[in-house]
Amino acid sequence: MPVAVITGGASGLGAATAARLRGEGLAVASLDLHQAQDVELAISVDVRDADEVEAAVDRVERELGPIDHLLTAAGVFELSPIGGTGPDVWRRMLAIHIDGTANACRSVYRRMKERGAGSIVTIGSELGLCGDAEAAHYAAAKGAIHGFTKSLAMEAVQHGVRVNCVAPGPADTPLLKPEMRAPEYIDSLVLKRIVRPDEVAATVAFLMLDDHNFVGQVLSPNAGAVV
Amino acid sequence: MRLEGIDDRVALVTGAGQGMGRAIAERLAAEGAKVAANDIDPVTAAATAEAVGGTPAPFDVSDPVAAGDAIDEIERSLGPVDILVANHAYMTMAPFLEEAPESWRRIIDVNLFGTGMLIERCAPGMAERGWGRIVVIASEWGVIGWPNATAYAASKGGLISLVKSVARALGAAGVGVNAIAPGVTDTPQLDVDALDAGVSHDEIVRRYGKDIPLGRVGRPEEIASVAAFLCSTQAEAFVGQVVQPNGGTTRTWGI
Repeated sequence: MPVAVITGGASGLGAATAARLRGEGLAVASLDLHQAQDVELAISVDVRDADEVEAAVDRVERELGPIDHLLTAAGVFELSPIGGTGPDVWRRMLAIHIDGTANACRSVYRRMKERGAGSIVTIGSELGLCGDAEAAHYAAAKGAIHGFTKSLAMEAVQHGVRVNCVAPGPADTPLLKPEMRAPEYIDSLVLKRIVRPDEVAATVAFLMLDDHNFVGQVLSPNAGAVV
Repeated sequence: MRLEGIDDRVALVTGAGQGMGRAIAERLAAEGAKVAANDIDPVTAAATAEAVGGTPAPFDVSDPVAAGDAIDEIERSLGPVDILVANHAYMTMAPFLEEAPESWRRIIDVNLFGTGMLIERCAPGMAERGWGRIVVIASEWGVIGWPNATAYAASKGGLISLVKSVARALGAAGVGVNAIAPGVTDTPQLDVDALDAGVSHDEIVRRYGKDIPLGRVGRPEEIASVAAFLCSTQAEAFVGQVVQPNGGTTRTWGI
């Protein structure tokens, strides 16, 4: 049974992808602060801590076998204006997304590289493409994930490891702010609705499981937030 | 991977006689679609239709009257067109200053005008029924440009803007419109590149392949799967996107 690791697998996009991949016959391990339900292995991890991530990845391979796929979905979201954010909030936002993504990729990619096979999908954001008011720190963190993904993709492709990014629009998850459920905001999206988590999960599953030659791409199921 | 929502849909695939179009027809048929296989060449259109259990629909996409008549016939025999994959293309290669005006006009006519007219014919019905998918095969060269392919790149760049505009107009009506900008893919169209470079098909495949991070040019099936995915139910959140299955060529390769 192929094995997938999902950071942030306990809720939102991570949980939706876990359900989709299990439906496709994969064994799923979740690395999350919270215990994920309905996965083969749930490990409590703070993705900011490289040692914790490494230990968890080691445990996944011992208990479930070699990791074939990685999704980095652990993240947080908050609105905060420039000038009112402060260094602690900034640093936390960057650490969870950038360190979290890099830590998981480091531990898993090293193992995939040795085996010469694997696929990695990172979760970016439409805010990382175009930014928005009161989202500077989040946009900076997600933009960094886009750049990181494209660079890792160039390194990894020579070793048989495929790396791409999915940059969703506002999705129906616990992270979404009430402002983004308001009718005025919804009306600004081409589809006049927010993105469903299963749409993001299907995109991730396609990148992991189907036959394609995407390398270092950012795919954007975003309901028309950024066309 | 299993793709939801394609089963039983009527799909018109243009340029389906060979290469990517044939692979797209095959994949959509494998997902359960009823395929109308278009090509300007009736022989290859018929061959693809037979291979996928579909209906041949030979016509020149740059002739809106012929296209309209053919789509009327498809709708009578298979039902309304739910999925349009505009894959057809015409290409010649020459330095910009030497490109004949007739070639320019033919490239724009087939690639851009032809696709615009097909969308104009098929999209209203999709919007009325509340479900539709339009996938336009653009090109990496429509994104980054290419020497000796100015008209082709212009036509493909135009398609990208067309797709974004139509997607904005039709998204809320349940019609998903997106573009695929493949990198170099191993199809008979590479014979044009081979002719321009004065080498064989196999040599042009090798030359292009060594400059691609993945180490090889794309396979038609790899583009077909992306096209099929964009037609699936879960791809509705893709609105006017230009996805680029190209083996990693987005930036210059080779540090």
